[in-house]
This record gives sequence, C-alpha cells and structure tokens, in this order.
Amino acid sequence: MVRAGRRLLSSLPALFGVLVFTFLLMRVLPGDPAVFFASGPNAGKEEIEQIRKQMGLNKSVPEQLVFYLSDIGHGNLGRSMMTGQPVLKDLRERLPASLELTFTALLIALIAAVPLGVLAALRPGSLVDHGVRMFCALGVCVPTFVSGLLLIYVFYYLLGLAPDPTGRIDVFTSLPPQRTGFLSIDFLLAGDIDGWWAACKQLILPAVSMALFVIAPLARITRASMLVSLGSDFVRTARSVGLSWRKVVITYALRNAILPVITIAGIVFSTMLGANVLVEKVFSWPGVASYALDALLSSDYAPVQGFVLLMASVFVLVNLVVDICYGIADPRVSIE
Amino acid sequence: MRFASFRPASCVVATATLLLVANAPAQAQTRAETLRYVTGASVNTLDPNIPGSTRESFALSMSTYDRLVAFGRKQLNGKWVFDLDKITGELAESYDVSSDGLKLTFRLRKDAKFQDGSPVTAEDVKWSLDRCVTAPILGKAQLLTGSLTSADQFKVIDPLTIEVTLPKPDKLALPNLATVYPMIINSKVAKEHATADDPWATAWLKEHTAGSGAYVVESFKPGEQVIIKRNDDWNRGSPDKPAFFKRVIVQSVPEPATRANLVERGDADLVVDLQASDVQSLEAKGKLKVVSTPQYNSITFVSMNNQIPPFDNVNVRRAIAFALPYDDMFKAALFGRGAPLFGATWPDGKPLTGIYPFQAPVKIDLDKAREYLKAAGLPEGFSTTFSFNVGQASTAEPMAALVKESLAKIGIKVDIQKLPDAQMSTQINEKKLPLFTEGIVAWLPSTDYFYRNFYTGNQRWNYSSINNPDLAAIAQEARFEPDKAKYEEDGRKLNAIHFSEMPQIPLWQPNQDAVMASSIEGYTYEFHRQVDYRDVSRK
Repeated sequence: MVRAGRRLLSSLPALFGVLVFTFLLMRVLPGDPAVFFASGPNAGKEEIEQIRKQMGLNKSVPEQLVFYLSDIGHGNLGRSMMTGQPVLKDLRERLPASLELTFTALLIALIAAVPLGVLAALRPGSLVDHGVRMFCALGVCVPTFVSGLLLIYVFYYLLGLAPDPTGRIDVFTSLPPQRTGFLSIDFLLAGDIDGWWAACKQLILPAVSMALFVIAPLARITRASMLVSLGSDFVRTARSVGLSWRKVVITYALRNAILPVITIAGIVFSTMLGANVLVEKVFSWPGVASYALDALLSSDYAPVQGFVLLMASVFVLVNLVVDICYGIADPRVSIE
Repeated sequence: MRFASFRPASCVVATATLLLVANAPAQAQTRAETLRYVTGASVNTLDPNIPGSTRESFALSMSTYDRLVAFGRKQLNGKWVFDLDKITGELAESYDVSSDGLKLTFRLRKDAKFQDGSPVTAEDVKWSLDRCVTAPILGKAQLLTGSLTSADQFKVIDPLTIEVTLPKPDKLALPNLATVYPMIINSKVAKEHATADDPWATAWLKEHTAGSGAYVVESFKPGEQVIIKRNDDWNRGSPDKPAFFKRVIVQSVPEPATRANLVERGDADLVVDLQASDVQSLEAKGKLKVVSTPQYNSITFVSMNNQIPPFDNVNVRRAIAFALPYDDMFKAALFGRGAPLFGATWPDGKPLTGIYPFQAPVKIDLDKAREYLKAAGLPEGFSTTFSFNVGQASTAEPMAALVKESLAKIGIKVDIQKLPDAQMSTQINEKKLPLFTEGIVAWLPSTDYFYRNFYTGNQRWNYSSINNPDLAAIAQEARFEPDKAKYEEDGRKLNAIHFSEMPQIPLWQPNQDAVMASSIEGYTYEFHRQVDYRDVSRK
C-alpha cells in the first residue's frame, strides 16, 4: 500500500508536465478556433472577437496558462465549444462508454489470446503454432475499422443478427438509472434483463473488432514467455516427478509466465482506450476517443487538453493496477 | 467471409447465437409514428443563437420554436423547395407592410400558446426580437442584413399587435424574420433564468427550451442524440392539425457507410448527408426514395486571392478559368449530382440573367488559357498551392487531383494542401491562401445579398478579396431598389463585372440528396439545408 501511494505521488510531476505540454502544443498548432466556430453565414470580426473572449484567447499565453492551471486546481476543465458542455461533464458521460468497450474487448482478447499462446508454446513449430501465428498476423494486419465495417456488413446488413450499429443502446430502449455508467452493470442492478441483453448485443461487435487487433501481441507474448517457462528447470523437475499435465502447465509454467502478459495487457489497455477512435466512429460509440478527435479537428482546446490529462491519469492508474497484479501473481515482486 | 476463416469457428457461432436471441418487441406500433433521422453532425445547443451552434441545431430550433413568419414552399423541377417570395404567418395571423415599406405590422394568433400553456403575447415577441439585436449572439449579424439593428424598432401596439419600423424600405427585413435566429421565446420563463451577467438568459436557453414550437424536447444529449415529442396543441403548419410524427429521434452516426446501411435496412427513415457514391447505389437499387435538389442557395467555388501575385492579374485568373476540367471535376467530385455553373453560351457576350448565381460561359480550352497566361506575362507558368479542408475531402480530393493535372498542362505547378477545418478557416480569414476551393451558402439568396456579402469588403466571406468599387456601388444600390426591372438590370451589370473580372470561379451547386424510406412524404429543401421535421409525414 505504501508502495502504491509512493508510486502515485511520484507520477504527479509527470502529470503536471503532460498538462503544460499539451497546453502549449494546442496553442502552437495553427488554426484559430474562434474563426472556426464563428461560422454562421454572417459571422464577422465582431463574432470572432467575442468567441475569442469567451474562450479566453484574448489574453497572453502565460496568462492563459495560469488561468488554466488554477481552473484545473478547482476541478474545472473548461467548456467545449463543440458540444457546448463543460468538458468534465462530457468526459464523465463518455468515459464509462469507452471503458466498458475497452474492458470487454480486453477480456475477449485475453480469453482468446492466453489459451492460443499456451497451445502454440506447447507444440512449437507444429501446425497449431503456425495456425496461431497466421491468425495473429491477420488480426494485426486488418485495421480495426475494416474489421468493424466487415462485421457490420455481415452481422447487421446481410444476416440481420446484430442490432443497428448506432451507439451503446437501441434508441427505443429506455435507460436504467445511472449508477456505474457501465450500461451492462446498470441494467443488471436495475434488474432489467431485456435491457441488459440489448446493451450486450450492441457491445459485442465493436468489442470483437477491437479484440481482434490486440489478440496478436497478447498471444505472442504468452507464447514466448511460456516457452521460456516450459524449458526451465522447475518444469523439468515437476515433469520428472510425475505431476499431472494440468498441474505442470497451469500451476507452474503459466503462473510464472504470466507476468509479462500482465504488463503487456496493461499497456494494451491504455492504448486501446485512446486509440479505439476508429471503432468508436464506425459504431457511433459515444466514447472519449472520438470526442477528442472531433475536438482536435476543430481546434477546440479544452476537450483535447482534458482528454490528454484523462489519458495520462488512466495510464498512471493502470500502471498501479499492473503493479498490484504483479504482487498477486508473484509475491516476491512486492518485497522491496 | 474472409475474417471468419481466421477466427475459431466456435467464436463465430457463439457471437451469432448471442445476437440471435431476444429481439426488442413492443415498439412496432409506435415505430410508424416515429421519425428516426440520422446525421453525421450533431446538435450542440438548443438555442441556435449561441456562437458555434451547428446546422443540426438550426434545424432542431425550427421545430422547437416558432417565428413570426415562415417561408412558403414551391415546386422547382418537381421537387419541393422553400420559397423566398412567399412569406406566410407562423405566430402572426396576418401582417401588413406599409406602402412606403417602412412599417411592418404583425397581428398575433389568438390561439397561440407556449409549451407551458401561457399565451404568446406581443411582449414576448418584443423581448425575443430585442434579444436578437442586443445580446451578443448570432442573430445580431443576421438581422443586420435586413436593417434590423436596434430594440427601438420593435413596438408593442397592443397585446396581440407588434410593429416593426425600418430606417429604409429593406426588402430583406421580412424574410429575415423567418430565418432561424429571431425565434419567439417565452419571455416570462426566460427572464426567471436571466442573471445580472446574462440578462438574455443565453446560458439557460442553451440547455432548455421555452418556445411555442411543434415539438417539445424530451431528451438532449449533445453530440449523440436528441429526442423530441409532438406538441399536440401546435397548429401553425396546417389548420387545426399538429405535426405528423409523434416523436422524432435525431441521432448522430458519424460513419457515412453506416448511415447508408441504416436507411437501406429501414432502421432509419431519413438522411441527407450520405456520400454521393452511396446515394447513387441506393438510387439504383430503387427500394428507397431519393429526392435530389440542387442547393440553389449554395455555391462551390475555386477561389483565387485577387490581392496576391500572380492572381492579382486578371489574365491569370482568366487563364485558370479556362484551364479547369469542369466536366471531369463535376463527375469525379459529385458524380454529376448537382447543377453546373459552367459551360453556358452567351450569344452576344452578355449575361443572360440578372440572377446570381449564373451559369458562366467557361469551359476547358487550354489554348485560350495559354494565351491569357502569355498576356499576363507568364508564358512559362508559375507554382502555387491549391487548398481544401479535411471536412470536404470526399469531394475536394478528387477535384484537387484533376486541377493539378490540368493546370500542369499550361505550365502551372500546383501543390495540393489538405488543411484541418480550423486551420483552413483561419487562413481564409487572414487572406493567406492563393488558390483554394470553398463553398458558400446564403439563407436569403437574392443577387444583391450575394454580391454584398461575398464580393465586398475586407472580410472573411469575401474569399477572392476582390475590391471593385463599381461592383460594391451597384450592389449597394440594388439593395434598396424597389423597381423589379431596374433590379434585374443591376443584376446583369454585376454578373457582367463578375465574368470579366473573374475574381473566383463558380463551379456548381451541389445536390442535397435526401434519402428516405419510401413511406416518407413531404420532404422540402429548406433554406438552412437541413430537414424541417414539421414538413415530413408517413403514408
């Protein structure tokens, strides 16, 4: 616990750096947001000035930075011109959508990747190994939006099995009272099984298309690390004393091989959260990544800064969780 | 399928069975009474007056608020479009224009009520119009084009009569009151939410509505969807009848291919922003209704900066005008879906009409282009850039490639620049781009309006930065010209100047392709280029 706290503290300077850096980067990028947003058919100089004032752009950059930092200190991330809402509110509404999608995708990926990696490692060079390798290569080669569009085409357009790919829930279904923001959990808490089902159906296709993309790194790292572990002395010993196959592979080999998989899973998770913008666009998923992209295209400073800060914080948290998971998988790690 | 072959078969089966079970029932009866409209954009505010509001927000406000007057509609080549010349009462039961054109008197409907049940009074109208010309909101600049600039111009005569006085007999004053911004707000409700800093309740009205419109906002998720339900008391469309649909869902679906799938499968009823290629294939399949209307109040240009060399030389501009591969561009960018503004023949070399936009006698003629370049003293050509914004990439990208190829033939070397939207608008505003493509739209498309707003002054919308005193003077004079024949004459003069100066090259008016379920009727092309949900019904 002390260790976790210290880790958290030591990441604060990094967060601060990210904050200032993003702020400056946005100001350096060409493109004046005020001109972009003053795009009514009659918007002239006056309107542009007024928006500039509203966004605080009429002050000097250092002044803006001070105001920005003090706002952050008060928990105010600014207001988005694009949606007209406070950025904090936007992020709070959209983050659960992204998290739900990413968690599900990661879960699907792990469930598929770990057994695949183990299988490949048990028989290196065999047909199974090559099969897994080919599958992984294909998964990485096909960009997520292509697999997403393909899945939509087959399961929605041709077969009509999937619901229409328009966000987290069918427009005609009423929403459960918001508790966690994760629809699949909220529906369960509300005891609405039909709603839960509807939410899950919406979730499957985007999650699968994201998972396909990340199965490869996870399966490859599982395989590599299993190979090392299977070739080590303790496995040889375990085999020689006649322990069951199950005990040798699962308890001894896999448990020792899982550390790098956890690390990669942590990294994959943070990357997915920010980089699933294409999936979010294709499935109209109201997540944070597509929100940030739209904001970036229209030079809407506040949401982009808020998003980067959010991602940096998530990254710090994920690292922390990964650390804790290490401790569970291998108690030796937590001893300093 | 390709991807299925590399996934474990069991996984596919599992997914399929998961999706197969349970399909949402019990909505069939309300589905027919619901309009589901999908769009690539989104509604970002409930008050269209807020700077930065989107076109979808404009469209939504047409249904949630009423105005004093509204545009009628007419048939243009068999399609319904808004009619600028036919202005009917909306909240006004009737109106009079005094013989000198300086006084407009509106008598309000006695039965008109706000959505909270209170009657619509002249006080509310005055407050709303005052807000539009006083508060720092978008309506100010719009109403300025109709000589409506000060709160003193609006006078309450009695609870049901309001009088608008004008400094000059401005033809655009009345049409301006039918545009998006001067919506009539329930002033009692709005005032309750006004603060000292914000006397016009702009912050509150951004997230709430207080109007008398045909629809009430049921749920509003900025950037995702808006659901509105019918106001059964509303009867401003047809006598004694509310709007047709009980509910309208306006949903953002960013991916155009997905929007096409949705409407083709019948899950969405109406969409107006598909890619031209998708529209073409959907039209060919014949299952859906496709209404293509040339956007007769909008124009796409190739613009040149008349202040930057070499485009400050009129012969260079003419050379470009005769070196563009118009037909190829029209096909590649729009699949021919629009009204061309090139390829006319002017027998006596004079404009055929005083209406702007006009079809100009330009076509690709490389020899002529070379001659013009020689006359400009640049027989060897020069290098320049051609810019367009990312948002228009689907049409502008193929166009840019063709421009580059064709201009290379007369020695002009073109670098293509694809700019993010905010960057493009900034550069245009700062007048830094030499050669680029852009589009314009005018809500009130009259000749003098186009020329005054898009061809005069050192301001952003004067894309070509033309500074021609004759043109400016004629356009200004035409604004207040009451005589139709003289107005037409002024229009012809302006068009002639446009052709000889060639400040920028109008290319075409793209089609608005509305794709809808075959049961949808009544779709009308509106001045704001979005759907007015009150127009449509289901058979």
